[in-house]
Amino acid sequence: MSILKKPDLSDAQLRAKLAKGMGHNMYGEPAWPNDLLYTFPVVILGTITCCIGLALMEPSAIGEAANPFATPLEILPEWYFYPTFNLLRVIPNKLLGVLSMASVPLGLIFVPFIENRNRYQNPWRRPIATTVFLVGTVVTIWLGIGATKSIQDAISLGLF
Amino acid sequence: YPIYAQQAYANPREVTGRIVCANCHLAQKAIELEVPNSVLPNQEFEATVKIDYDLNQKQLLGNGQKGGLNVGAVLILPEGFRLSPNSRSPFFNTYSEQLPNVIVIGPVPGEKYREIHFPLKAPDPTTNKQVHFVKYSIYAGGNRGRGQLYPNGQKSNNAPVLASVNGVIEQIRENEVVIKTDQGDLVSQAIPAGHTLLVKQGQKIQNEQPLTMDPNVGGFGQAEKEIVLQNPTRLKTFIAFCVTVFIGQLAFVLKKKQVERVQASEMN
Repeated sequence: MSILKKPDLSDAQLRAKLAKGMGHNMYGEPAWPNDLLYTFPVVILGTITCCIGLALMEPSAIGEAANPFATPLEILPEWYFYPTFNLLRVIPNKLLGVLSMASVPLGLIFVPFIENRNRYQNPWRRPIATTVFLVGTVVTIWLGIGATKSIQDAISLGLF
Repeated sequence: YPIYAQQAYANPREVTGRIVCANCHLAQKAIELEVPNSVLPNQEFEATVKIDYDLNQKQLLGNGQKGGLNVGAVLILPEGFRLSPNSRSPFFNTYSEQLPNVIVIGPVPGEKYREIHFPLKAPDPTTNKQVHFVKYSIYAGGNRGRGQLYPNGQKSNNAPVLASVNGVIEQIRENEVVIKTDQGDLVSQAIPAGHTLLVKQGQKIQNEQPLTMDPNVGGFGQAEKEIVLQNPTRLKTFIAFCVTVFIGQLAFVLKKKQVERVQASEMN
């Protein structure tokens, strides 16, 4: 298919690097010019075209002029705030609600420290961090969907 | 009735986004709005408001009889969008002279008009300087059944009768209920024809407690959709751009294949 350079095993330097699990850039498909000069521009052009197409077909709506004296019937923030917005509206105590929002980045900051005695990088070998990530992702998506529902279905999503 | 809103409100959409029909049609039932994703200038297109309900339902009419439900809808278009001039339907009206972009219909029989197709025409930004090639919002309100209030605040007979005082039900007559208050006064409350009583004689009742079942089967709902007013020149330019990009990508891939053949010959 493409050009694959074989590793030069007579090179002592390469052998030493391979022994340490490094030096993988010294064989295989050459980066220059095969990848950098020819494949990259194909991808870059495709990305630009997709962005222009989206901007053309689906431009952002301008929306209504802001009016501080008229609260819209349904208030909903930008999508990336949905989970914390849902927390804020289902927790009756406003201080606890704000603290729950602040605890999201604080909790994320602590994740690498909880398991910092673990010398592996592989997620399968970092059970605490992986569990926190998976549970956190599910909870975030769940709460985010709940934000778009009415307040009665905010936690249950109307499923039960 | 749309005419009530037209008489009382200059703009049917309040600043909060609520459509004023909801001030009389207190019950809420969802509707659906369908519009094209994008339209070209001067294009004739259709917006569909779906006001779904069970056709077997009967509602209480003003005279106490039971009858079928009527439906009505309001469509609030962006500035410059109009009812199609080719529309022959007599049912569609503009809201007012000042708001030709707001279209009302109703009341019309629900058996035939559960799906209302509004024939519309998009504006042309080259002739109308108020309009631009951007994304606009379309708001729709749809209702089935009668309202619960009249514009003057008077309750219609399509709402439950609520007790006006605390007390005990003294007597139930054909079309009124007499309540004896804690002070011993007798208060009689009229019960419109067709209502089903919920209370019995001698029952103790609270102020605002419903005396009759809610006769309402309808409701009002509103929906919002976005529509892009698309520039045909932009579309053509974009298609040309896409072709150019594809040729460019093809050239890169072919050049890479050529270079690979050189590399292969150098490796051996």
